[in-house]
Amino acid sequence: MTTYVVRRLIQTIGLLFLLSVILFTLVNLAPGGPLAGQGQSRHVDPEKVELLKRQFGLDKPLPTQYIIWLVGNDWMKVDIDGDGVAESFGTRKGVLRGDFGFSFRTRKPALEEIGERLPNTIYLMTITMLAAILIAIPIGILSAMRQYSAFDITVTTFSFAGQAIPEFWLGLLLILIFYAWLKNPFTGDSLLPAGGMTSIGVTGFDLGDRIVHLILPVATGSLGWIAWYSRFLRSSMLDVIHQDYLRTARAKGLPNRLVIYKHALRNALIPLITLLALDLPYIFSGAIFVEILFSWPGMGRLYYQAALQRDYPVLLAILIIGAAFIILSNLLADLLYAFLDPRVRYDKS
Amino acid sequence: MSRILKRAMPVFSLMAALSMILAACGGGGGAASGGDTIVIVIPEDPPSFNPAIADAGYDYLVMELVMLGLADMDAQGNVFPELAAELPTVENGGVVIDEENWTMSATWKLRQDVKWSDGTPLTADDVIFTYEAIVDPETGGWVPGIDYVDSVEKVDDYTFTVNFNTVYPGYLLLFGGEQAVVWPAHYCDASQGFANWDCGRQPLSSGPYVLQEWVNGDHMTFVRNENYFAPGKPAIETIVVRIVPDESVRKTMLINGDADLDMWTTEAVIADLLGQPNVVVEPSPTNRWVMRIFFNLAAKGTTDPQATPHPILSDVRVRRAIRMAIDVDTISKEFFLGMAQPVWTEFFREPYKCDIPRPKFDPEGAKALLESAGWTDTDGDGIRECHGCETAEEGYVMEMEFLTYSDYGEPLNLTQQFIAEELLAIGIKLNLGAVEGTVLWAYSADGGIEQSGNFDMDIWDDGYSGIDPNDYLWSYYYSEAAIPDYGYNYGRWINADFDALMDEAYTLDEEYRKELFCQMAEILEEELPEVPLFTTVNADAHSVRLQGVQSSTNDIVTWNVADWTIAQ
Amino acid sequence: MTSNIAGFSVDEIKRPAVTAGTSGLGAAVWKRFRKHPVAIGGSVMLALLALLVLLAPLSPFDPELSTMEERYQPPSLHHIMGTDALGRDLFTRILYGGRISLTVGALVVVISVSIGVPVGALAGYYGGRVESLLMRITDTFLSLPPFLVLILLSAILREVELPIFERNNVLTIAFVIGILSWMTFARIVRATILTLRELDFVTATRALGGSDLRIIVTHILPNSIGPIIVEATLELGYAIIEESGLSFLGFGIQPPTPSWGNLLSNAQDHLTKYPWLAIFPGLMIFLTIISVNYIGDGLRDAFDPYKVLEKVGE
Repeated sequence: MTTYVVRRLIQTIGLLFLLSVILFTLVNLAPGGPLAGQGQSRHVDPEKVELLKRQFGLDKPLPTQYIIWLVGNDWMKVDIDGDGVAESFGTRKGVLRGDFGFSFRTRKPALEEIGERLPNTIYLMTITMLAAILIAIPIGILSAMRQYSAFDITVTTFSFAGQAIPEFWLGLLLILIFYAWLKNPFTGDSLLPAGGMTSIGVTGFDLGDRIVHLILPVATGSLGWIAWYSRFLRSSMLDVIHQDYLRTARAKGLPNRLVIYKHALRNALIPLITLLALDLPYIFSGAIFVEILFSWPGMGRLYYQAALQRDYPVLLAILIIGAAFIILSNLLADLLYAFLDPRVRYDKS
Repeated sequence: MSRILKRAMPVFSLMAALSMILAACGGGGGAASGGDTIVIVIPEDPPSFNPAIADAGYDYLVMELVMLGLADMDAQGNVFPELAAELPTVENGGVVIDEENWTMSATWKLRQDVKWSDGTPLTADDVIFTYEAIVDPETGGWVPGIDYVDSVEKVDDYTFTVNFNTVYPGYLLLFGGEQAVVWPAHYCDASQGFANWDCGRQPLSSGPYVLQEWVNGDHMTFVRNENYFAPGKPAIETIVVRIVPDESVRKTMLINGDADLDMWTTEAVIADLLGQPNVVVEPSPTNRWVMRIFFNLAAKGTTDPQATPHPILSDVRVRRAIRMAIDVDTISKEFFLGMAQPVWTEFFREPYKCDIPRPKFDPEGAKALLESAGWTDTDGDGIRECHGCETAEEGYVMEMEFLTYSDYGEPLNLTQQFIAEELLAIGIKLNLGAVEGTVLWAYSADGGIEQSGNFDMDIWDDGYSGIDPNDYLWSYYYSEAAIPDYGYNYGRWINADFDALMDEAYTLDEEYRKELFCQMAEILEEELPEVPLFTTVNADAHSVRLQGVQSSTNDIVTWNVADWTIAQ
Repeated sequence: MTSNIAGFSVDEIKRPAVTAGTSGLGAAVWKRFRKHPVAIGGSVMLALLALLVLLAPLSPFDPELSTMEERYQPPSLHHIMGTDALGRDLFTRILYGGRISLTVGALVVVISVSIGVPVGALAGYYGGRVESLLMRITDTFLSLPPFLVLILLSAILREVELPIFERNNVLTIAFVIGILSWMTFARIVRATILTLRELDFVTATRALGGSDLRIIVTHILPNSIGPIIVEATLELGYAIIEESGLSFLGFGIQPPTPSWGNLLSNAQDHLTKYPWLAIFPGLMIFLTIISVNYIGDGLRDAFDPYKVLEKVGE
């Protein structure tokens, strides 16, 4: 097992390296540059553009830029005043030493930008996923047990509907209904806030305020996940129910309910847990539509803004860290699967 | 959609019940703004308080709350002193022109009662510190006009002289306006550099407000600066800037009374706000942004109109026919709520208003003009071909690409489609496209469409802010600005007479300048390198209770924030 | 949901479609599919939508030319879905938009199947180095954060002027979505082949001198056709949803070319004033996705590997 994990981790490093080359190239290929303003009516001296390029490190050929991005430039002399003479050491440490560069937009370290948004995204996504699982599990079990019943068909339709409504559209509708139209009968205010994490003027932690701000984003964000997980659980329950040992158990006279809850559910949950592990990266990358509509200061919005404004360092940092999350989640999923299902062994492979 | 609603209703009612309970016992949803607090909603965080490094728009907005420049511009575009005791002019002896070398120097006197929010007085040392930080060859940055400055010299603690290497008519806003402010020498760390320093994100205030809290991506809180020099101002105790990315959510918050101000309100939102009892839409008294058509005079993909002239657009008669075929009044009425003002020259507003007669909307005349230019439709497909035209080969089809930028939104998309239809009616076929602004305007090496000449005809908006059009005119029409990445003369229009007038316009003699500009207007009318169409809607929306808001000509609604009040 | 990309890796490995031979399979599947009423309903609905969209040119209205006197007309007998900002008949626009959206969906399926199936087949059949190289490539693609890369790629390709990728081309969007969704197909096909490779009838064919290509095409692929068709059906739906999401963010198909996605996202400005502009494109997307899901569900049950397994008697 240990050898397997070590081998997988080594592969992960190789894969991340390959991905970093691909993503670095892609990001820099994007037309439109961080240097372009929006049709501003003024004369920018071309020399000043050169200065900006030097400050951003965009004055060097792309392969050199990649090397500096990876290992930094504090070990080599660079020309920072543009006189053609490399006179002083650079200041970049490189990704390998945890320096993802600074945001072109705010000039703050890219990691700091991510650090400010990440807790908010984890907060929202964890609650969204938890809500989704808590609702999806009973739905999945019931519709598997009563396959093709009215309940099953209703739930199936509902969960397909959950996948058929674009998230941005659902969010907008919910805002219209619960913010613009419905009023709180006690205070006359809007029933739910339009967005944000807290109300203005609320200082410190206020549970009630936190919860009212979570209802709409969580409802919007979890609908698709509920559909997804309940469908998944339904089909894995059906698989398990049809398997021989359960038939044997039932034939032996064990009560059906006991069979379902004790044996079938346990085995059906194994793939679900693995699936959850695979979906962990979403807790990092966030839900872009929910964050935009509900003014939630998370990673999805940070990425979207960086993409629009060609903020290469932030884009790259999010992509690379996101990819690392995916790879590690895959590893975690495989390990969990092996741990939970004794039939799977990785040592031999 | 009713099907969705019906199916989802149980969930809705469950949530409604749940949230009612929570709202009753917990913090509750809306109307947290009250008392002495106003809420401004903007779609994204400002990058910093230093507009000179990112020029994002929202940086100006928050900068005006906390930092002052030597002078600023009011809603009508007049310059007024901020940190300066008075504006230096030739008349009051503040400006001295060296006739021989055609250079000038401006001597500024600062107010002596301005303190930073930590109590330290603001002095000439701060101005010199700011100048040196900007021009630092390694860590510096750029603000408009800084290239014209040779040096800044201290005279005494509250007096300094700026020496220019030319006569620069925009000198009053060099350390002010929307782009620049004076930075605190004792607080900012010069070694971090102008563009990167921490004081650009955690500023020390010289203005009416102090930044109290900045929760990235969520909100910023500003409270009254107790050290602000104007007694009794500002009237409003707290300003909260909330980051709300979605436009329709911002609109709904304004209608619901949870937001007091939305800046740069778009036409679609204005249309919904106009009937609302508690919202005021405040159009700017000065219309800066002019929607216009840019023609590439060089063939698509090239930048030299002499070597590779555009097969269709290099003939001025074609450009004129295109202008004649566009019905500006209908566009304004239908797509811009009637708020767009038709414009046909760069010099359409005071103080540089020139008398150019308005062209007629005349599709029949346009057709005749195209016929006479050798563009006729002989194969009967409705699209003209070259039969004896001067700029293309025989049989060349009158078909081009017509681009715009996608960021503006629906009114511009509709305008683009409408214009394409009108031109099709006179036999010109346009293939429409929309690209991100950042791609349209990027430098040529970054794939910038305009800078690399990779277009036929574009429509987008620009215009000069405030009162000094010099830099603007230079960068759109001067010959040197046609060099890729040097300026914005995207059409590569080169005219020696215009260049000569432009060179002359670097003067402080206003009468003479006006005369020069009107001569330019004649040339532009004759040659039509661009076709100005109408001013776009430049407005901000605010709640009825918020008073004193005046949209400014350079888009900064917060320029007079110290004078705002809340009606009781 | 983009999560299909991560999810199927478990799902499909867990339940390979094992069938022997193809004779009678189609008939058996059809027999079971026919008994699935909602799946039939979904098929009928999708066929109707496709037919309507194909017949779009029969509409008496022009999809592009404006009628300024008829802007923002609510639904009426004359304009059954009302008119848009340029006074164009919304129903006609939606039909033409459906051509674009369904084309995007179909292209995505074609692109992802034609990359994924060969990759999975070659990897599964040959094993060894070929497999580890191909699966490494698949893993690389699977490690890209899906929606984030989708945004990045559409920003890049949308505005690159190559002969095939013209600005705002439908093909660009389809290519971008397709290039990020073929991995599921590769995994499905490989998983099937892994279980089949050593089965008797394959070994027998090989012993009889059947060429590799022949074995793959005639014996192995037909056995993974079930899950491929199911996944392809769902993919059609995902593609339409993803295009609409990209449109909302401004990276989708650009107006004036109509797609259901951009018709819907443009309508959000007018939600309260002109609700029909949003309702009808939304309804079209909704109906398509629902139909596609029902069909997928029916097909999955019809192809149910365990029912077949029992028959083969593994």
